[in-house]
Amino acid sequence: MSRALVFASREVRQNILVYLVLSVLAVPFVFPFVWMLGSSFKPAVEVFAYPPTIFPSTLQWENYARVFTLQPFAQQYFNSVYIAVIVTFGTVVFSALAGYAFARIGFVGRGLMFLLLLSALMMPEEVTIIPKFNFVQWARLDNTHWPLILFPIFGAQGVIATFMMRQHFLSIPQELEEAAMLDGLTRWGIFWQIALPLAKPILSAVTIITFLTTWNSFLEPLVYLKDVEMFTLPLALRGFADEFGQPIWEVQLAATTLSVLPILIFYVIAQRFVVESFASSGVKG
Amino acid sequence: MYHDFNKKRLVVLFFTLMLMVINVAAQDNPIVLRFTLWIPVDSPRGELFAEIAEEFSAANAGVSIQYDYIPFADYTTTLPLQLSGSNPPDAGWLTENVAPTWVQSGILADLSASLLADEAYDFADLAPSAMELWRSGDPIFGVPFSTSPFLLIYNRDLFEAVGVDAPDVMIENGAYTWENLAVALKTIREEAGVAGLQSFNGGLYSGERVWHTVIPLVRAYGGDAWDADNTCTLNSPESVAGLQVFHDMIFTDRSIEAPGEVVDFYTGSAAVLMGQLSGVGPLAEASFDWDIAPLPDGAAGRASVVGQAAFVVFNNSPNRDTAIEFVKFLTNKENTLRIARYFPPIRVSVLETDVLLTANPTIAAKSMKAAVIDATLSGRVLPSHRNFPTIDLTSRAYWDQLWSPDADVQLVMDEMCAAIQPLLSK
Amino acid sequence: MSAFTNAQHQQKKYYRTSRLTLKERDSLFGYLFVSPMLIGFILTVLVPLGMVFYYSFQTRNMLAQTWSYAGLDNYAKLLGGDPIFSKVLGNTLIFTAGLVPLNVILALVLAVLLNRLMHGSTLFRVLFFAPVVTSAAAWAIVWRFVLQGENGTLNSILGMAGIEGPNWLRDPNWAMFSVIFTRVLKNVGLNMIILLAALQSIPREYEEAAQVDGATVWGRFINITVPLLGPTLLLTTVLTVVGSLKVFDHIVLMTNGGPANSTMVLVNYVYFQAFKVFDTGYASALAMILFVLALGATVIQWQLRKRFIYNEV
Repeated sequence: MSRALVFASREVRQNILVYLVLSVLAVPFVFPFVWMLGSSFKPAVEVFAYPPTIFPSTLQWENYARVFTLQPFAQQYFNSVYIAVIVTFGTVVFSALAGYAFARIGFVGRGLMFLLLLSALMMPEEVTIIPKFNFVQWARLDNTHWPLILFPIFGAQGVIATFMMRQHFLSIPQELEEAAMLDGLTRWGIFWQIALPLAKPILSAVTIITFLTTWNSFLEPLVYLKDVEMFTLPLALRGFADEFGQPIWEVQLAATTLSVLPILIFYVIAQRFVVESFASSGVKG
Repeated sequence: MYHDFNKKRLVVLFFTLMLMVINVAAQDNPIVLRFTLWIPVDSPRGELFAEIAEEFSAANAGVSIQYDYIPFADYTTTLPLQLSGSNPPDAGWLTENVAPTWVQSGILADLSASLLADEAYDFADLAPSAMELWRSGDPIFGVPFSTSPFLLIYNRDLFEAVGVDAPDVMIENGAYTWENLAVALKTIREEAGVAGLQSFNGGLYSGERVWHTVIPLVRAYGGDAWDADNTCTLNSPESVAGLQVFHDMIFTDRSIEAPGEVVDFYTGSAAVLMGQLSGVGPLAEASFDWDIAPLPDGAAGRASVVGQAAFVVFNNSPNRDTAIEFVKFLTNKENTLRIARYFPPIRVSVLETDVLLTANPTIAAKSMKAAVIDATLSGRVLPSHRNFPTIDLTSRAYWDQLWSPDADVQLVMDEMCAAIQPLLSK
Repeated sequence: MSAFTNAQHQQKKYYRTSRLTLKERDSLFGYLFVSPMLIGFILTVLVPLGMVFYYSFQTRNMLAQTWSYAGLDNYAKLLGGDPIFSKVLGNTLIFTAGLVPLNVILALVLAVLLNRLMHGSTLFRVLFFAPVVTSAAAWAIVWRFVLQGENGTLNSILGMAGIEGPNWLRDPNWAMFSVIFTRVLKNVGLNMIILLAALQSIPREYEEAAQVDGATVWGRFINITVPLLGPTLLLTTVLTVVGSLKVFDHIVLMTNGGPANSTMVLVNYVYFQAFKVFDTGYASALAMILFVLALGATVIQWQLRKRFIYNEV
């Protein structure tokens, strides 16, 4: 009994230490976000006041109202949302399939194909943007959302997701699958009924990362889109400038806060799946 | 025979009808001119342009103008992409800093035939010094519609609080020089604790506005970046003298914002802002008393520097001739007068009217005349060159060496000239 | 005898012609699963990459819309005649070499700490992720203020301890470090969730067994946790290396490549040549260098995995 008490207090002590360390570490992470939030309510002169303040003196809600009057923000918001959703869904589906195949199915040319795919990881958009732009122009798809949907799913983003899926599927014990195969399940069946449910953490991680990357993508929309109504949020944020090109900070920060909210909510929900504790990992030793 | 006669008639009738239809269709074929600019169309200035466009459409049947807004920050990046695309713009605005590159590239259409042919247009009225950048021999590649001089915007309250003469007082006393201003700003820094001069849009140290901030001073002392033969003159005695004054202001007097210091004139943490007329916009609700002043004199007198924005037409436009006509329309006397309400014009006849003096109700006519009108007529643009982007990038290493307390100005400038001369000579 | 062999023969034929072997059917699934990604990849990545390779042998001007064959001129220029390029290349290597270890190790530390918490870990998970969703512009504004030479928050705090901090963003010796540090803080949250996901799927039995056997915390970490995290650590390292080669906005907003071009990296220079100088040919050659760098880094790490990672097929 006394041994359990000693054990418990050591745990508690360690936990308090961990909390302390984490709290201190969290400060540089969080305060820029808090500043952004606070400044979005400030009147223009306060945003860069010296000495700087985090909290606004008054809550100027009209900053948020102006967000919608200065640009077709609601439309741009919708654009970002539906593009991100489609891209995320497509990426998860295709990368899970491909990632699983690369991890578990032995087929001729697998190694070579995977290495080929890896080469796409190095592709910063700035590198391939010109030929892609020329192609999009030729196909008359400029000023549409098609390039913004297709290129991420199958491009560098999709390959990263495939890579992540593959690594995760590799760490699922093979015994499960071998048992299922002996039971007569087809490869599809194994994928759908065994591998995929075990992949929830990585599926959530891929969803978060893909959604985030698509949400924040700037160069591609800049190059392909022309009309303000077709813009996505990162482009829209740049448009909150006055006639002379100077950013209207308090409105831009309000717009930024609005565009950050869905990802944050999305993340709060999705990360639960990432860290769900696995009592039933199904492996014995 | 009877049949043949009727048949022939029918055929003739048919072809006549066809010709009429084709003719009518050709005339009705609407031309839509795509015109790019960097202000939103539903803004006071944008609406003025929309009005002018409507008048042009009324006078030219079948032609309509479509304005495309490209945010300023991405303007020169996105425009070339659109030009190489499937529906390129026909005409638009362009800034003077990229003029040499664009003029050289052949993407801009030659406007001279149309502009010179029409006497009513009065081409001679366009200030020749302002047109310099946009001409390459006889051809004319653009018409500036806005010539915006560099000026100082100052916080009169801060000057008075510390007890030094504000620029307008200095001008009256004929003592408006960089040195006097430096002393005043030094006092402000010491007594009020705020920075004296904020560099052009705060872009001095980041490299984005280094030329904008430094060149006015250098020219006021008789120097320049490079001369007409593209020889680097930054290490000439005059240039070095000017730069030394500047360097002392930063590090000895501390009257210019220090490297990395975050200041903001609009919230009162600097006494003076170097900028252009557009910088006055956010001051409508300022909490302090402010005014504008021209650039101070240096050892070689007053040197005005101007920025420009011009109308250009693009060569690969399918409606090039119509676009040229539109630009001619935009820059004729009547419309220049209207646009002058917002943009300092280059037409001498318009500059001499009251339009600019009364354009901005927040600025006194006297200040407007001194800081804007006089400077526009005598101002020169920043140094420009075909290879400017690369020259700019190469020079940054040396500018950054200059921004240290014990920099040897002559030495650094010698090195800079050595580095950029090959690029200048190309 | 002949009837029997006939029947057998027929049976054999039946199996061979109308049924694929298990291995062949499996392979079919394999090809089916990878084909969407593979085909899409070829069209959206390989083909453009080929075009970039092709452009790099030309002199192209995007503005004038001209192009002509230039042979190896672009490559000769970047190998010999471009002082800015050598500076930029060096900066890129320093940036990546500095950022990757810092990022991965910090992510691991945070993931391990978060993994230990019973309560409140959601809060911290969100807090550490906040910078990832903060806009690059807001992030840069705040940090540029904090890292100021004279009135900056950091130097004020250091001043209280009697240390005189440098001009973090304006001193050529410190600027790169400051840029790396702020970038790590901004993105480490991403690696943290990936590593956290991996940590969560390590069965607790392994750790508990080791604990019962008397292994120390550090010993357990090094000998059990880290090896089991092998594939994921490789993943995060590769992704971080490649990601670091793509960082663009952050540098432009923090230092605009200065001071003295000491923080300009290759991807900034590619953009500069493509969209400011309009020399698409040279920009393509630079892009190929960037590609080769990234490819090389990944291949090296990929080959190293054979030495360090055990639980892989």
